[in-house]
Amino acid sequence: MNEENKILWKKVLGEIETEVSRANFYTLFKSTGLLSLENGIASIAAPSTMIIDLLQKRYYDIIKKTVDKYTKLDTKIIFIPKVISKDLRENMGVAPLFAQAEKTEMQTIGHLPRVRADFTFQTLAVSSSNQLAYVSATTVAKKIGLAYNPLFIYGPVGVGKTHLMQAIANEVYKNNPDKKIIYTTSEEFTNEVVEAIRNNDTARMKRKFRNIDLLIVDDVQFFAGKDRAQEELFHTFNILIDGGAQIVLSSDRPPSEIKKLEKRLSSRFAGGLTVDIEAADFELLTAILLIKAKKYSLDLPIEVAKKIAEKAHDPRELEGLLLKIITVANNKGTEITPELAENTFNQRHEEEGGFFHPDDTIKNICSFYNIKETLIKGPKRDSGLVKARQVAMYILKNDLSLSFVEIGNILGGRDHTTIMHGVKKIERMLLNKKFSEEIMGIKSLLRNSDRTMRRWGN
Amino acid sequence: MKISLISERLQKGVLFVNHAVSSRSQLPTLLNFLIEAREGKLVISATDLEIGITVEVPGKTEKDGAVTVPAKTFTEMAGTISSGKISLETTHEGLVLAGEKEKTIFQTTPADEFPRLYEEKGKQVMVLRRETMEKDFSRVVFAASPDSERPALSGVLIKEEKDGFLLVATDGYRLSLKNHALQDVRKMRPEEGVSMLVPARVIRELIQMGKDGGGEDIRVYAAKEKNQIIFIQNETTLVGRLIEAEFPNYEKIIPTDFSTKTVLEKDGLQKAIKAGYVFARQTAGIIKLSIEKSRVLVSANAPSVGKNLIEVGAKTMGEENEIAFNARYLLDFLANSTSEEISFEMTGPLNPGVFKETNDPSFMHLIMPIRVQESA
Repeated sequence: MNEENKILWKKVLGEIETEVSRANFYTLFKSTGLLSLENGIASIAAPSTMIIDLLQKRYYDIIKKTVDKYTKLDTKIIFIPKVISKDLRENMGVAPLFAQAEKTEMQTIGHLPRVRADFTFQTLAVSSSNQLAYVSATTVAKKIGLAYNPLFIYGPVGVGKTHLMQAIANEVYKNNPDKKIIYTTSEEFTNEVVEAIRNNDTARMKRKFRNIDLLIVDDVQFFAGKDRAQEELFHTFNILIDGGAQIVLSSDRPPSEIKKLEKRLSSRFAGGLTVDIEAADFELLTAILLIKAKKYSLDLPIEVAKKIAEKAHDPRELEGLLLKIITVANNKGTEITPELAENTFNQRHEEEGGFFHPDDTIKNICSFYNIKETLIKGPKRDSGLVKARQVAMYILKNDLSLSFVEIGNILGGRDHTTIMHGVKKIERMLLNKKFSEEIMGIKSLLRNSDRTMRRWGN
Repeated sequence: MKISLISERLQKGVLFVNHAVSSRSQLPTLLNFLIEAREGKLVISATDLEIGITVEVPGKTEKDGAVTVPAKTFTEMAGTISSGKISLETTHEGLVLAGEKEKTIFQTTPADEFPRLYEEKGKQVMVLRRETMEKDFSRVVFAASPDSERPALSGVLIKEEKDGFLLVATDGYRLSLKNHALQDVRKMRPEEGVSMLVPARVIRELIQMGKDGGGEDIRVYAAKEKNQIIFIQNETTLVGRLIEAEFPNYEKIIPTDFSTKTVLEKDGLQKAIKAGYVFARQTAGIIKLSIEKSRVLVSANAPSVGKNLIEVGAKTMGEENEIAFNARYLLDFLANSTSEEISFEMTGPLNPGVFKETNDPSFMHLIMPIRVQESA
């Protein structure tokens, strides 16, 4: 029923109401509507055949007369049994049973839990470094459970493992939304195992993971040393593979090199196809950047893209750099030029520290050395603890540019001389190559966690 | 018109037709029965414009004719009349109903005021067997909403699936679903899939019709373009309209998982909830179920009146749990369930609870819990 018909019918009804009895009007006319008015035929909807019969018998003339008057046509009236639904659509807000489902539906619409909707094969840049992984992933997505099972993707950080794995999930979901897909990280999987054991409810977890079509586990190297989680994964693995479900795994190193991983697991991991992704080369970085720029509807000059790609260590950094340059250009109201890029990145170094928050920094250092946060701020002086504490001092000083007094306060109210001593000690130790790698590792952890947090929006 | 017939048959027919008379109708003619004498039978019809019922009573017709009489008076009168042969005849005074010793005269109105119930029956879709029809529909129809303002929730969805029919109804707070329903149905057009949303009221009348009509099969006719559905059993015809609204996506809300499952006897639970309802009635019907390893505690608490706690033996798998429901919904389900033993599954106090029947795994009933504050 369009607006015009609605208005016309309202007028018609208004007039009929004055001519027929109230009872008749309410029982017979109230729920009618003008469906269409075409070629001199007015189709009128009424809820039931009985009502139509009465309208036909008693009121055909008056309806026709009134419709003719307003349309200035000689119309023919036909009736159609149809309930005109009220404009207020079925409001499930008052149907609690469905309200909840609608809510969860909203969350999953367009993408899967934990999976970024924009991580698809289409948004992935392919070059020689990830060609093989890309082809394997697309094949797996096309025929899950049939091609390579499991598909094991490994490579250093930031080469696009997660993107590739989520692209598989998105592709499978797009082609067949009914497929049950779980994307998880080894940490989450471990947490679920722990939770299930604590609640004495492993059956529930088993049902969740063993009744699916596609299981994707990111960063399996973190399973190292977690025996119970490994055992659970082992059984889940067997059941899924036997049942024809697809498994996709990723790690930063090949299965055989993951330490503290049970033999039976690593051999199973390697039982399908193992592909590696090499660190992105300059060309790939430039290509990725151009794709990302498109996401921001930006036509990035190739020269600028090259400049940014030169500066970036890994693809993850690209987006940050890109955003930065967009912001700077917007603020200055200038075009994005290679010179602007150059200038922006030269200032970049000093500001980098601003990305980190002291609390997060300490948290990350603690998790790196596997100690409790309260201990690092506490009075204990075990040698491991002291080292971690001094590393924290060093990083807070160097990368966050905090003052010695500030650092002392953060680390449980220590004297500034203690901090000075700690920082100096670490600086001396940095001459040791192994230790300096350790520090680099912590720094990259910081950078990543910082990004992760921004990415997930908390 | 002039016809003679047997009193009992008239009584029985009139009682059912009376279901289609709405006392609230504003149109005087709808408070009437249409009574027609045709060859070999008397046809009584009534409608409230939503549903229509026609019953044929066999009789010896001497003169055809049709009148309308006030339904209420006629039904009451027919109920008091002595058994045996009676006659109906129109005279200048009105419609005369005469038994051996009594004579009643009804005021009549012309029959042409009365709406026709249907033009054509439409295509015959299928034939329902009474027993399964009754058993399957009565476990589903009570979950539908009586509120026709929300059409989709006021109907029962009858949908043909690969392995039989699916019946489902919901009022937004609870949902009844029966798979593999209507097992012995005979389809007239096997190539055409059936999917229709029939008002709960029509289904209720259908169940009643089945009960009245003995074990006879029921023929189903549908005219989709007219949104009309007709059920015919012997001499009785039930006319309803199909609901056009889209049925809510019930599949989405059916839990696939549970953390607690308990199995218990229906009678025990029903008794406990009835007892609890004495108090629950005072507090919007809230009844709490505490599911423990070997029992379920049913408790109700009306602060100003009192409270009670009843224990029902049960076998529980998974974790112990607590959940609160509207007792009315529990009682509705229990009253309509045909199983001696039922199971209850839940995942948390805020997620729908699922009731199943041990003797029929293809049936399930979901109820939305009530969120209650923790209190002693």
